[in-house]
Amino acid sequence: MAAGLLGLGARRLLAVAATRGLPVAHVRWESSSSRAVIAPSAVAGKRTPEPTVRWQEDPDPEDENLYEKNPDSHGYDKDPVVDLWNMRVVFFFGFSIVLVFGSTFVAYLPDYRCMGCPREWNGMQEWARREAERLVKYREANGLPIMESNCFDPSKIQLPEDED
Amino acid sequence: MLKIIIPTIMLIPLTWMSKPNMIWINTTTYGLLISLISLFYLNQPSDNTLNSSLMFFSDSLSAPLLALTTWLLPLMLMASQHHLSKEPLTRKKLYISMLILLQLFLIMTFTASELIFFYILFEATLIPTLIIITRWGNQTERLNAGLYFLFYTLMGSLPLLVALLYIHNFMGSLNFLMIQYWIQPLPNSWSNIFLWLACMMAFMVKMPLYGLHLWLPKAHVEAPIAGSMVLAAVLLKLGGYGMMRITTLLNPLTNFMAYPFMMLSLWGMIMTSSICLRQTDLKSLIAYSSVSHMALVIVAVLIQTPWSYMGATALMIAHGLTSSMLFCLANSNYERIHSRTMILARGLQTLLPLMAAWWLLASLTNLALPPTINLIGELFVVMSSFSWSNITIILMGINIIITALYSLYMLITTQRGKYSHHIKNIKPSFTRENALMTLHLLPLLLLSLNPKIILGPIY
Repeated sequence: MAAGLLGLGARRLLAVAATRGLPVAHVRWESSSSRAVIAPSAVAGKRTPEPTVRWQEDPDPEDENLYEKNPDSHGYDKDPVVDLWNMRVVFFFGFSIVLVFGSTFVAYLPDYRCMGCPREWNGMQEWARREAERLVKYREANGLPIMESNCFDPSKIQLPEDED
Repeated sequence: MLKIIIPTIMLIPLTWMSKPNMIWINTTTYGLLISLISLFYLNQPSDNTLNSSLMFFSDSLSAPLLALTTWLLPLMLMASQHHLSKEPLTRKKLYISMLILLQLFLIMTFTASELIFFYILFEATLIPTLIIITRWGNQTERLNAGLYFLFYTLMGSLPLLVALLYIHNFMGSLNFLMIQYWIQPLPNSWSNIFLWLACMMAFMVKMPLYGLHLWLPKAHVEAPIAGSMVLAAVLLKLGGYGMMRITTLLNPLTNFMAYPFMMLSLWGMIMTSSICLRQTDLKSLIAYSSVSHMALVIVAVLIQTPWSYMGATALMIAHGLTSSMLFCLANSNYERIHSRTMILARGLQTLLPLMAAWWLLASLTNLALPPTINLIGELFVVMSSFSWSNITIILMGINIIITALYSLYMLITTQRGKYSHHIKNIKPSFTRENALMTLHLLPLLLLSLNPKIILGPIY
């Protein structure tokens, strides 16, 4: 971040200094306006070059860069044709077949819990909600009461004879 | 069930007899088609089970896990393609065969109806996983990791074998569907306590419970990417699934015996989350985060309330997808810099913005952002544990905070900030990697729209 605060020229100087060492003066120069003097370094020779160290982060020379031979590589194989077909197969079967058809299948699964015994297993919840909304809409549109207080049709109930 | 098992078995001749440049294409294609078939089992019409045959059945609990398992195979194949590209052909085919064999055993485990059959397959899944970890892992520590993995699980599951044989002798059958109706309450006696322990320890080790979790960071870190994916996403859920099945036989002793394991889980989830904050190794961070999430599942299963079971099932599926995605992201880093240290590849957002988007989404789902299913799972578990005991809310709350902390820590360290100077050597993201992340993320997001299929048999 400190490098960002410096000017462009200063950054270039820093970069050069990092790689090649500070620039070396070959002749002696004395300023006329100030007391600055630039002189060849008393220490002879430049900074000794760094021994070439292999860092862990440097690319492994045995590593094969798939992009060298095939810049359009998809990462599957060296052979461009096999690579291309592998990519197509993965995308087709993986996404277009399994994810799409699979999601559709799962989305249209029947109302999950036991459809035979709605009351015991809380089944057919979604159907019950949809049916209720449909009936409410129908009854409101036709001015019928939303629900009747009688569970069963009273005319169909046959009561036993009153006994005195 | 044969419509899934036979195609999976036939994937093995497919790999061995395909042309050398077609092995990946063929196996990925058919793997994806098998996952499509497994989705049919999500159509669970009732509280009861769908019985395919005498040996196999599928339940609202096992169907989502089955779908997760079959979905993961093509993803594992896609993730492994790069690091195996230099290997000789036979070794590639062997690797794929190991993955397919593991998939086969897992499918049969999740749908087994007889408990001894379940046990045999539970143990059988160890062999391909061990081979994958010890043969194709990248560091020398993989041998130690394989040893820990194998022997921890075996130590836990040998008592389970004895307990299952005893129960078979006692009840007459171990067909899970039948013994549900023959269960008698298990009185509190010393031998019943040992029976409870014998039944549960195998699954506790597998989950893993906090005190028995040492195998997990080793195995996850040393395994190659496909090994890490399947370990984190599915093998841990075997423990949860097994626990949910076997606790039906062990009531009401569970109310008494669960306390030490509840304490260990509640404390352990905070401990492992805190360890995540201090990790330098990216895969190790994700591994410890798995322990933390699974501790929530253990708490949920031991409480045995309807909401906690729903939360446990949702959390298992959600964590499977999230954890697998995080391992794939870590692997995409590893393939570029050959190191798992987080700070070596930092500031990646400036270089790989699309991958940063996947990192962001994965971290957000890991910290259980609403409205993902991770949140649904965690919320149900936290609420039911609060009703079990009010004090647990403090521990759960601390865990949720620390989970958010380390997820964001992982995100910020790898994506944000100033990049390191060697970032110019990092290759751009491949289509393969972006497709892999999307294939993990899209089911997760789609499930957020319709979570009822993963809420288990209690919903």
